[in-house]
Amino acid sequence: MDIAQKLEVLADAAKYDVACTSSGVTRAGKRGQLGATSSAGCCHSFTPDGRCVTLLKVLMTNTCIYDCAYCVNRASNAAIQRVCFKPRELADLTIEFYRRNCIEGLFLSSGVIGSPDDTSELMIRTLRILRHEYAFRGYIHTKAVPGTSPELVSELGLLADRLSVNMELPSEKSLQLLCPQKSKGTILAPMRQIADSIAEDAETHALVRRRQTTYLSAARPKRAARAFAPAGQSTQMIIGATPETDHHILNLAASLYKGMHMKRVFFSAYIPVVTDTRLPQTDRIQLNREHRLYQADWLLRFYGFEVDEIIDAEHPFLEESVDPKANWALNHLDLFPVEVNTCSREMLLRVPGIGVRGAQLIVSARRQSTLGEQELRKIGIAFNRARYFITCNGAYCGSGADFSREWLLAQLKKPIEGGRHGRRADRLLAGQLSLFSEDQSDAAQAATLLPEKAS
Amino acid sequence: MDAQQNPLTDLFDEVAYLYDGSLEGLLSAVFEAYARKEHPSDVISSELVQPRLSQRIHHVATNDMFARRVQRGIVKRCGKRTFWQITKASTSSDPRVGYIIYRFIRYAIDEHADARRALSNRAHPAVADLLEAVLSVENECERMRQFARFEHLKGDDIQVWFANVNPKHAVIPLVLGHFVERFNVQPFIIFDETHNIAGVWDGAQQHLIQISAAELVSRLPHHSANEVAMQEAWRTFYRAVSIDARYNPELRRQFMPLRLWKNITEMQEDIAELKQIDPCA
Repeated sequence: MDIAQKLEVLADAAKYDVACTSSGVTRAGKRGQLGATSSAGCCHSFTPDGRCVTLLKVLMTNTCIYDCAYCVNRASNAAIQRVCFKPRELADLTIEFYRRNCIEGLFLSSGVIGSPDDTSELMIRTLRILRHEYAFRGYIHTKAVPGTSPELVSELGLLADRLSVNMELPSEKSLQLLCPQKSKGTILAPMRQIADSIAEDAETHALVRRRQTTYLSAARPKRAARAFAPAGQSTQMIIGATPETDHHILNLAASLYKGMHMKRVFFSAYIPVVTDTRLPQTDRIQLNREHRLYQADWLLRFYGFEVDEIIDAEHPFLEESVDPKANWALNHLDLFPVEVNTCSREMLLRVPGIGVRGAQLIVSARRQSTLGEQELRKIGIAFNRARYFITCNGAYCGSGADFSREWLLAQLKKPIEGGRHGRRADRLLAGQLSLFSEDQSDAAQAATLLPEKAS
Repeated sequence: MDAQQNPLTDLFDEVAYLYDGSLEGLLSAVFEAYARKEHPSDVISSELVQPRLSQRIHHVATNDMFARRVQRGIVKRCGKRTFWQITKASTSSDPRVGYIIYRFIRYAIDEHADARRALSNRAHPAVADLLEAVLSVENECERMRQFARFEHLKGDDIQVWFANVNPKHAVIPLVLGHFVERFNVQPFIIFDETHNIAGVWDGAQQHLIQISAAELVSRLPHHSANEVAMQEAWRTFYRAVSIDARYNPELRRQFMPLRLWKNITEMQEDIAELKQIDPCA
């Protein structure tokens, strides 16, 4: 089987892994060596579903000894062809794509072939070729397979930039139900090891830093050749395959951020790819729920929210119609409207429509001039959302006189007005009369929206 | 001066400064505006000019010494960071950018109490316009870093990695360093076909060259042996990673503008498909 065919099978098998980021570490280029990384990452392409392609995301092999109910690569799935990359094939492919500026590096995951240790050995051999033989300075993200021995995990950590262990499902009970061969213990053990190694590494680096405030030179270690997983670790879990609530999921995510110092927790809406009686029997994909969970996740990481502010046990699911931040604001109308020219940065961050960048720009711009509607629009905040919650120089910016929860909710739920031209302009609003019969206009819209299906 | 001879134009004394499109030319224009104590209503590249009614035209000769003086003045009064933003904005293809930069310099030096902080007063129109131009240029730089695709070309005695790009603004000088850093082991050319600028890395030094597409292509060797196979492999990968259940082409188009597709390896099939359905696309 030639490499292109292998690539097709193994890329297809890896596509349900969500994380595809190349962020978190800056490594400048070096004369005579290929590659560099930047902390912000770089998306090199976007698939027809709008997700970015940053790394060459493939499996080492799609052979797997485990039989997890939801997974396309499960041992009992006879419908797929089983293939395996040779370490050199994969390393060469990575370099070839990297030289063409198609990718930032490699995202290497794998089905479990033989044993977890055998699988990790294969992955390590690939990474050694890349790092040592080709002196590759690009980004590498690898999965640590649960059950791998600690020595192999620590070697992986020194070769890769980011490590991740899949949480798979949000609770132990679900794990037992859907992947009986995995357990909470085998997943948490490598996660804990990675977190500890990163912390230890950070301490070592702090000690070898040139400028010191205390005299510790006697205990100064030699600088390690490479940091341990310098871009940190992440994890992912499947949403909607099991009955856990958003309340449970967000609490779990928050504890992972606190306890394991995760860089990211990814959520993946369950997509039915194999049939199993233990799985939900529905075709509905909870994309909206996934979106709301990510919004809540951002509030936890960048906006200074605590979990219990976003969600409580009495309402264990996030509001579907508005985002969690707007929902929080609607539940705390006594704090609004706030005056943009004087209020604190923390409070600005809590206004729907003002993001981290917007808040920072407002704080720096208001030092020099008073901000009104025009200035705020120039700065680039989502003024049409924020207007209901702010005053500019004492004047309320909202478009109505009503300041009740219901009225504001109705304003925020309204579909975005598309303007008079552009693609959104001809979108039909519910209840609007149409010159054409319903199904005809639907067909016409579908034809313009889905060129691929029309052909 | 001709304005003194004509009492009519004296009433509506408007002057447009024309420069050669380079940053040095623009800075020379700023120098002349101060030297002649004039407030031009347009500072514009001579290729793009369309004189307004009863507007005088003043041709600014690019003078490196004047340009340096203005540069030093800006760096001294406003700081290096501000000058770097002006440099970035000057690569924009927007015809208004010359005036935007001129107006910002006037605002920062003449009107603002503390020129070093002028750039952070985003609420002022002179600053907002400049920052908008900078943002547009920076976005274009990022798109080049994302979507420039290199092909391996190989002749008998020469091999080079070649990327054809079509950015909105002339950003090659701004992104060349990024590519030199990561691809320093391979000689490459990144060619901007809209502005006919080639950024060249020969393995030891970087060069910027003004050259037409026809001339450049005639000098380039052909694809290397495995180039077509690797491009096909990349397309295969691209097709394989998409999840049909999440199909969302509008989102893709927001991130990856249609105008760039013709130079992105994996998108060339899609663009052919689009053309079949809608010949105008």
